[in-house]
Order: sequence, then C-alpha cells, then structure tokens
Amino acid sequence: MSRNHGSSTRRLLEAARYHGFGIAAALLFLAPLVWSVLVSFKPSIEARQPPLPPWPVGGFSVQSYENLAQYGSGIWTYAGNSLAVSAATVAASVLVSLLAGYGFSRFQFPLKNVLFVLIISTVMIPFQSILTPLFLILTKLGLQNTLTGIVLVYVTLQLPFSTFMMRNAFDAVPREIEDAARVDGASVFAVLYRIMLPLVLPGVATVAIFAFLASWNEFLAALILLTDQKKYTLPVLMAAVRSGQFGTIDWGAVQSGVTLMMAPCLALFLLLQRYYIRGLTAGAVK
Amino acid sequence: MMGAAQEKAKIELRDVCKTFGSVDVIHSLDLTIEGGEFVVFVGPSGCGKSTLLRMIAGLEDVSSGDIFIAGRDVTDLDPSKRGIAMVFQSYALYPHMSVRQNLAFGLEMAKTPADEIARQVNAAAEILKIGPLLDRRPGQLSGGQRQRVAIGRAIVRKPLAFLFDEPLSNLDAELRVSMRIEISRLHRELGNTMIYVTHDQTEAMTLADRIVVLRDGRIEQVGTPRQVYEDPNNLFVAGFIGSPRMNIVDAVCLAGDRIGVADAVIPLPRPGPAAAPGEAVKLGIRPEHLRLGAPKESALRAHVDFSEYLGSTRYLYCNLQSGESITVEQRDGTDFLSGEEVWLNCDAECLRVFSPSGERLRTGRPERTATA
Ligand SMILES: Nc1ncnc2c1ncn2[C@@H]1O[C@H](COP(=O)(O)OP(=O)(O)O)[C@@H](O)[C@H]1O
Ligand SMILES: [Mg+2]
Repeated sequence: MSRNHGSSTRRLLEAARYHGFGIAAALLFLAPLVWSVLVSFKPSIEARQPPLPPWPVGGFSVQSYENLAQYGSGIWTYAGNSLAVSAATVAASVLVSLLAGYGFSRFQFPLKNVLFVLIISTVMIPFQSILTPLFLILTKLGLQNTLTGIVLVYVTLQLPFSTFMMRNAFDAVPREIEDAARVDGASVFAVLYRIMLPLVLPGVATVAIFAFLASWNEFLAALILLTDQKKYTLPVLMAAVRSGQFGTIDWGAVQSGVTLMMAPCLALFLLLQRYYIRGLTAGAVK
Repeated sequence: MMGAAQEKAKIELRDVCKTFGSVDVIHSLDLTIEGGEFVVFVGPSGCGKSTLLRMIAGLEDVSSGDIFIAGRDVTDLDPSKRGIAMVFQSYALYPHMSVRQNLAFGLEMAKTPADEIARQVNAAAEILKIGPLLDRRPGQLSGGQRQRVAIGRAIVRKPLAFLFDEPLSNLDAELRVSMRIEISRLHRELGNTMIYVTHDQTEAMTLADRIVVLRDGRIEQVGTPRQVYEDPNNLFVAGFIGSPRMNIVDAVCLAGDRIGVADAVIPLPRPGPAAAPGEAVKLGIRPEHLRLGAPKESALRAHVDFSEYLGSTRYLYCNLQSGESITVEQRDGTDFLSGEEVWLNCDAECLRVFSPSGERLRTGRPERTATA
C-alpha cells in the first residue's frame, strides 16, 4: 500500500518536473513574441514609454498599425514585394532543387560527385563577401534594383542546402519503386510527378520553409541591391521605420511591423511542421 | 495498350552481354523462351539473375546483343513500352497510394477508361483474394498481403510476360509454399510467358517448365526440372540442383566399364563413359540412390558419422575409407549408431561420371531415368 503510494507520488513528481520544464521553456521562447504583439497594440505615445507593464494600459489601439500602413508608399506595397519575392524564391528553389536532387540521386553522369561537392561547398563562402560582385553582375544584367534580381540571389543562396536536402530525400526512396513505375508504363516525368514527388514531399516542405524564411527575413542583400524605396521588402522597410522620421523612433510601428512579419512565418511553420520534421530526418532512418 | 490481345509472347535473347564498368556480369548469352512457358532462372546469388531479368524489363541497358519480345526488337525500348510486368523482391508498392490505386496505376498510365480500370482492378482483387484490402495503404498490410498486391499489380495490366525477381524470398517458409502454389495456379490460368528468378532450387524445381541454371553470368544448363536433376551437364548443375546435394567422390575408370571408388569396384552402364581406363574422374551419386546392403566388392564401405531423423526419411552422413564424406537417404526407419559400418550399393544407371574439370562424361547410349 505504502509502496504503491510512494510510486504514484514519484510518478506525479516526475510528470510535474517534465511539464514544468516544458512550460518554462515554452514561456522563455514565447515571451518576446507576446511582448512584441502586445506593444504593437499600445497607442503610439504609450509605446514610446518604458515597456512595463508589457500590455497596453490605456486600452487596445490599432494606431501603430495605421501609422505603419501610412509609411512610405503604404505597407501593402512592401508586404506585396516581400510576398512576391518569397513566393518566387520558394517556387524557384523547389523546382530547381527537385530536378537537381533527382538528377544527383538517380542518374549517372561524368563529374557527378565533383559537381555535387562544388555546389555544397559554396555554403562555406560568406555571403557578405560576394555582395559586391553580385551587385556588379546584377547591374550588368540590368537586374539591379529589381525584385527579379533579388529572387535570383536568394535562390542561389538557397541552392546548396536545397539540392542537398532533395538529393537525400530522393536517395531515401527505394529504387525498385521507381523501377516498378517505369515497368508499369510511366514515362520519366510521370514517375517524377506521380510517384517520386509525393514520396519526397517532406523534403519539398523543408526546402520550401527554409527558402521562405530565408527570403522573407533577408536584410543585407535587399538593403544593398534594392535602392528604390518602392521596391523595399519588409525587413528593409522595418529598418527605415525604426530609424524614424525626424529622428524619433515609433516603437509601436516597429513592433506592429515585427508582428506583421512574424505572422506568415508562424502560420507556414505550424502548417508544415509535420513534413518539416520528417524532411529533416529523412534518410536518417531506413 | 498492347496487353489487350493476351498473346503468348516469345522472348529471345541473342548474344546478350552486360558489363558494369569493367566487370563482365553477363557473358554473351543466348536463350529462347517460348510463348506461355514458365522459365526459372536459378543460380547462386551474384550470378547475374537479376541483371538478366532487369535487362529483359528494360531497367538495365544491354551492353551488346539484342532482346526480342513477341517478335519485336525491344533492345532500345523504354521499359514502359515493352508491355511486360515485373514483381520485385521488395514488392516495391507505391507507399502513398491505396491498394486500389496501386493496382490501377499501370492502367491509368495506359489511359484505360475509368470504368474499365475499376472492372479490371476488381477482377484482379477477386483472383488474389485481396478485395477487402483495396482501400488500405501498403504500410498496413502483412508481407504476404503485400506480395499479393504486387502480383495483382502485375496481372491487372494483362502484360505480354511476367517477370518475377525472387518474389517469395521475404516471406516465411509456410507462406512461401502457399504462394508458390498460387503462382503456379496463376500461370495455369493466365497462360502468359513467365520468367521467375530465384536462388531457391525447390522453387525452381516445382514451378518451372524449364530451368535455366546460371553461374557467373553464363548458362550452365537449360532443361526441364527432370533433365537438370537427372541428367546434369556438369558438376556445378549436379551440385546445385537437389537437396541434399549430390555426392561427388574421386574415382578411377577401370577396364571393362567399371569404376573404382575408394576400395570398391562398381560396374558402370555399358557402353561406359568416354574415359580411358586409369583416368581419374569424379563420380556423382544422389543420396536417394544409395542403398544399404551386405558387404561385397561392388559396395562402398563407409562409417556413419551421424544420422538425422526427419520422419519419413533419415539422412546418414558417412565417411568413406578415403576420408570423403557421403550422404545417404534412408527410408526404412532403421536406427544407426555413430561409427557403425555400412555397405552402400548403387545401381549402375544412377551413377553420373564427370571429368576432373567438371564436364559430364556421358555414356554412349541414353541413361535410364533413375527411380528411387
Ligand atoms: N548497378 C550495378 N553496378 C555494378 N555492379 C552491379 C550492379 N548491379 C549488379 N552488379 C553486379 O552484378 C553481379 C550480378 O548481380 P545480380 O544480377 O544482382 O545477381 P543475382 O540477382 O543473381 O544475385 C553482382 O556481382 C553484382 O555485384
Ligand atoms: Mg537478385
């Protein structure tokens, strides 16, 4: 009886410790996000004051969002730029890495391994160090200060990781499944589309999330390559907002911008997290 | 597409070679498989059975030579256009599709109308008794059920020929026997040409119309199960087909169509094999052809090393005077003690003589087919 009692107490303690730790960690990660969101709903005057308590004392207000919306050529222009750039980066990264990964995984061609290592090794080059040449190349191509240009840069930066990811994803699909489809009468493209694509979907989701997050949040390249204010993406806009008009910083507008930028990332991650985890561990277990 | 007319496709391999890099895997191989025939490729693992099958399917390029299916040169044709179906060792079901979709995939690729697909899928499910599983995913099936689905996927398409690559080797022994019978029944009902790869000689013997024994990318012998068992072309085939293996012992040809083995002198069928008296040869005797008897000059003296009781039979593992071991299949139920002396008799017709290099030395006239 007493032993039984003891073991159930121990179990309770263990559960408390387990959940306690989980809750503490979750709070630690969530606090800054919540803080940002709360501040973004303070009236402009209050947002400028010391940040305690974090919630709006003078009632909720969307004034900061209104201010942000007025900024420059209007927030929707910039959000549209960012969305367009991210969507194009995701689409191009997925398409290129899907085909490249399939090729590297399934076809034999000369210098295959050399080429693959070459692509992967480009992650070792600090991206900042090639900004100047990139700028010059884009200028030569007439793509400087265009969203197309910045998309090309982002896709290039994502390529090593995406290709590596997709090759692993394809490697994890048994070759006999593909053989079976070919014998079943499927053309190479039908095999890729009907059989392989559904099986590497976790990899595709991972590539898409990474491409989205990277291009959505990227600041330095956008700052340097986009000179026309109308072409700014959200991170560049946020820097502009932060530096403020007439020397004052509208913290409320900054926080509302942060909230705005955060939302799609969270939504995308929550939507695709199942695939994402599976994609990252693909090939790790047979 | 072409499967609609369920013809019995003849398959011909002409001078087919395959090299992987610098390694020759298939050496200049010629083979004709008649329409409707069930042919089994058998051989030790790594001998090129799968490679050969994959070449017929078009999944592996041919280094040189030609392949014909139903009279058409398919050597450079894509696998999707050859009109054959293949069942893989790993089943290779599409994991993201239900059983129904797995079965329908090939028909969809052939642009079959939807109602026709539904009918074919149901018919195949009926034959293989997988009707209740149609809406499950492959991951929710047992090994035997997956195997049925894999076979179902092959039969719905009404292919010119079926290729099986060790389809039963992932199943447990009991299931293997029942699936073997089912495949045999399937061949009888469908009548298509079938090529079946296995390293299991029981499967080869039970399923085949003709067996192709392969070693290191070469054909060692082609023949009916009876031919390869009773009339092997060489030591390799003799040793590979049959379980327990054929006993092979050193022997010397003697004058008067006799052969000396250890200290025994055994008569050979007349006329004897094409070997000169005094020539060293190898003698092959199947375990079931050795009978225990009284001591005499033509009997082999041996000592029982140990014996295995299997119910209907007993295997005696014996040592000859020369130290060679010899296996005897015994059916009369007597018990034996280790070290016991036995005398082994064998009919002349049951002896198979091989040259030291392993070639069969046949007698002048056809041998009587041995009976147990
Ligand atoms: N893709 C390949 N590349 C190189 N060698 C291969 C390849 N496929 C098979 N082989 C070699 O060819 C030989 C025959 O293989 P396989 O046909 O699979 O044998 P089996 O099916 O009879 O066991 C083996 O020695 C194997 O190593
Ligand atoms: Mg094999």
